[in-house]
Amino acid sequence: MGRAPRKAVQRKDQSRGIDRRTLLVGAGASAGLLLAWAAWPRSYRPNLNAAAGETVFNAFLKIDRSGQIVVIVPQTEMGQGITTLLPQILADELGADWRTVGVQSAPVSPLYANSLLARQWLANDWTRIAGDAGDWAIDQYATRKALMLTGGGTSVPMFHKSYREAGAAARVLLCQAAAARWDVAWESCDIQNGIISDGGQRKLKIGEVAEEAAAFGLPEILPFRQGQADRLAGQDLPRLDTPSKIDGSHNFAADIRLPDMVFASIRQGPVGDAVFKSADEAAARRVTGFLKLVRNDRWVAAVAANWWAANKALDLADPVFELTGAQLSSERIEAALEQGFSSSSGQRLYSQGDLAPLFDNAAIVASEFSVDPGLHLALEPMCATARVTDDAAEIWMAAQAPGLARAAIADALGFGESAVTVYPLHAGGSFGRRMDVEAGVQAALIARDMGRPVQLLWSRLEDVIQDRPSAPAHARMAAKLGRNGMIDGWLAKVAAPCGMSQTWDRIARRKPPHEAARDSAESSTRLAVAGMELPYALPNWAVDHFPVDPGLPIGFAPGNARLHGAFFTESFVDELAHQAGIEPISFRIQMLGGNPRLAHCLTTVGAMGGWQGGIEGSGQGLAAHQMDGAYAAVMVEAAISGGKLSVSRIIAAVDGGDQINPDIARQQVESGLVYGLALAMGASVPYAKAMPRRAIMGRMGLPRLADIGEISVELVRSSAPPAELTEAGAPLVAPAIANALFTVTGQRFRKLPLLPRT
Amino acid sequence: MTKFTVNDRPVQYRMDPDTPLLWALRDASNLTGTKYGCGTGHCGACTVDIDGDAVRSCQLSIRNAEGRFVTTIEGLSPDRGHPLQQVFAADNVSQCGYCIPGMIMTAAVLLKRNNDPSDEEIDAFVTNICRCGIYPRLRAAIRRAGRIMRGEEQVEAAPPPGVTPEDAARTVPALRRP
Repeated sequence: MGRAPRKAVQRKDQSRGIDRRTLLVGAGASAGLLLAWAAWPRSYRPNLNAAAGETVFNAFLKIDRSGQIVVIVPQTEMGQGITTLLPQILADELGADWRTVGVQSAPVSPLYANSLLARQWLANDWTRIAGDAGDWAIDQYATRKALMLTGGGTSVPMFHKSYREAGAAARVLLCQAAAARWDVAWESCDIQNGIISDGGQRKLKIGEVAEEAAAFGLPEILPFRQGQADRLAGQDLPRLDTPSKIDGSHNFAADIRLPDMVFASIRQGPVGDAVFKSADEAAARRVTGFLKLVRNDRWVAAVAANWWAANKALDLADPVFELTGAQLSSERIEAALEQGFSSSSGQRLYSQGDLAPLFDNAAIVASEFSVDPGLHLALEPMCATARVTDDAAEIWMAAQAPGLARAAIADALGFGESAVTVYPLHAGGSFGRRMDVEAGVQAALIARDMGRPVQLLWSRLEDVIQDRPSAPAHARMAAKLGRNGMIDGWLAKVAAPCGMSQTWDRIARRKPPHEAARDSAESSTRLAVAGMELPYALPNWAVDHFPVDPGLPIGFAPGNARLHGAFFTESFVDELAHQAGIEPISFRIQMLGGNPRLAHCLTTVGAMGGWQGGIEGSGQGLAAHQMDGAYAAVMVEAAISGGKLSVSRIIAAVDGGDQINPDIARQQVESGLVYGLALAMGASVPYAKAMPRRAIMGRMGLPRLADIGEISVELVRSSAPPAELTEAGAPLVAPAIANALFTVTGQRFRKLPLLPRT
Repeated sequence: MTKFTVNDRPVQYRMDPDTPLLWALRDASNLTGTKYGCGTGHCGACTVDIDGDAVRSCQLSIRNAEGRFVTTIEGLSPDRGHPLQQVFAADNVSQCGYCIPGMIMTAAVLLKRNNDPSDEEIDAFVTNICRCGIYPRLRAAIRRAGRIMRGEEQVEAAPPPGVTPEDAARTVPALRRP
């Protein structure tokens, strides 16, 4: 095992400032399994509270005198298993017994900044050109701002190394403490199942030396654990959040109970620039338990002794809002998207080769596609619980951006940020919706107005009206096929708003949703055409983005722009395969010579699913996609029976690298597949007069158990670094189904949802 | 007229009799395991057992619960020991967890009536909505719980709550007594 001297690391550090990621990549590449420990951001100290008997080892780990391992996780648990995955990485490196591992949420601190998502999110094309320097600036910004973020499938790639390092550091410290007691070299000691041994007879429990271990110094080089025996990584360990979720004891934000607490329901008016005008408080007062109407510029909340009374009072108060500007409607969304193609803000964001001479006077295959906005419809509506005194606030909420939530709440209350505590809770779903922070701000303002703790829960109606769905989008696809059946040229023009840009404007710049939507329509961005960068090797191709404001504020979703990007790309590839007369897997693989991982997923899914070549009548269709270290192919069997879509099988083959917990990885893929199935079936509403035309959960076309056929997920074995698979499944289901339906109907299904709904 | 039994205890709610049972359970009894998801009876997150039926508690007023026998997820078992709870842990069913109490209460009623349901019977009975996508594991988990109830299989996956540090230290060698 080689060793990298600390000095070299420091030199590099000084020359560029702290760019930890580059350092770690560099050290790893040249020196194998080594740790650039000196690059750890030392200027920030963990701000963790330690209970009696607990010793803080680093920002990610506390160990209790009795041997309990408390892993600190900054990422928001939304069902994706992150509060198990990160502890599992650490416990594996440490040598812990899994039964002794617990998890706590992290406080807001620069140590937990997610610079990986910040880079994806904030990198405009200028920083792409600036390369590392642009990334460096974003990293600095993310750290200084304590930009804690969960989303975009970045949690595992961002923190995998940090948790390994934290576990390795603690193992070395504990071994040093034990070795000092035994008077042996610490290098001869190891930890297995929570027991430290010197390789011979002597053994100590972790808890016995935890306190003294923290006082030892770390060596210049930390060794990572070697060998595969007795490793926790790679095992299907039980999720840490399971016990409380099967007995009803798990507290979501609306399950918090505080002394003297009251309940609130809110109305924020129609979609758009709506201002609260008036409400009939006398009518509200007729409700038993009603306490007060709390008014704000853009919303009104009713507060009562229980939530149902609050919501009923609000119904009776019948709030009136004044709407400025054009009224949102489905027709307006469609028109705005079509007009988007002639927008002067449109730009070519990807370009390879030269399409112009190729397309000139040539036979072009062209198709137009459209995608409706996709509602999140997390089962838990937006909610937050708040307790506000004259000089401090406590907020219980699920927040994918807790630092920005805290800042927004502090700003709204006129407090300093340190006076606001956000207790991060698990989200009951989310799918990106809890990147927004408004429920926490509203709860805090209502609680201050009431002078007592308040629990704010949005009604389902409110949650639908004020959702920030995944983007509606239109695409004009064009391609020229070569004589050999290869694609000579490919042009994708996409008109779509950008949910990620709008979300940033809302939560970091505090713009009202309609302003964020308007402003983001001024510039094109790769974020709005994610997933359209072709994995296929083509000589000439380009992707244009035309930014649009259809009047509907939108937000994060699983896969983000890939939800439409993969639908356009993979549906159109299938059309071209048919035109070329080549079987769809072969058609793709002939263009995947440089991408063996994606090619392998395709062949795997074909073999598992009994692929019949996409022939007429087979009802089989497939789609493939790659994203940030994950490669996925999905095959489905689908039909239309009685005017209804039925999907009897979904098979996915996913290469997401060396997964820490394969069963959680499969869950992540399954989750995406079902989310994608919902988008194919429905999960959208028509809009009229600035309102959704329905808001009832049972009329959203969501899949229920009876709609689920056989779903199987195959993880392709791989030694590549682990990707997160939360985004892998959702974008692929709709194009695979659309392609399958073509084989049974002879028709192309170029709209999402696939079947028109009334 | 709002007297009935919740988890084996007699209760009377001093609330508007039109209050849906869901909100009496959540906001008066603090039985927050029963969840609000839609308020229209579609999602099933609020499902409780009433006199052996799976009832969406957002659709039943406390007036109409008079004299009835309500069991919530908190009352299903004292120790997460119900076969469905154990199987949900063993098969790693839950994700975000929000739909889970309603799913378990619905499936528990089904299995109480018929501990060997067919897939079709499961599909027809469990119409609850889950957005995370636990569906691919759900039928098999319910059938497995049925096998446990029929005595054909055993599973022990999730520990009961309230394990004392002393008990934990007896079982897990890595732990010390505090």
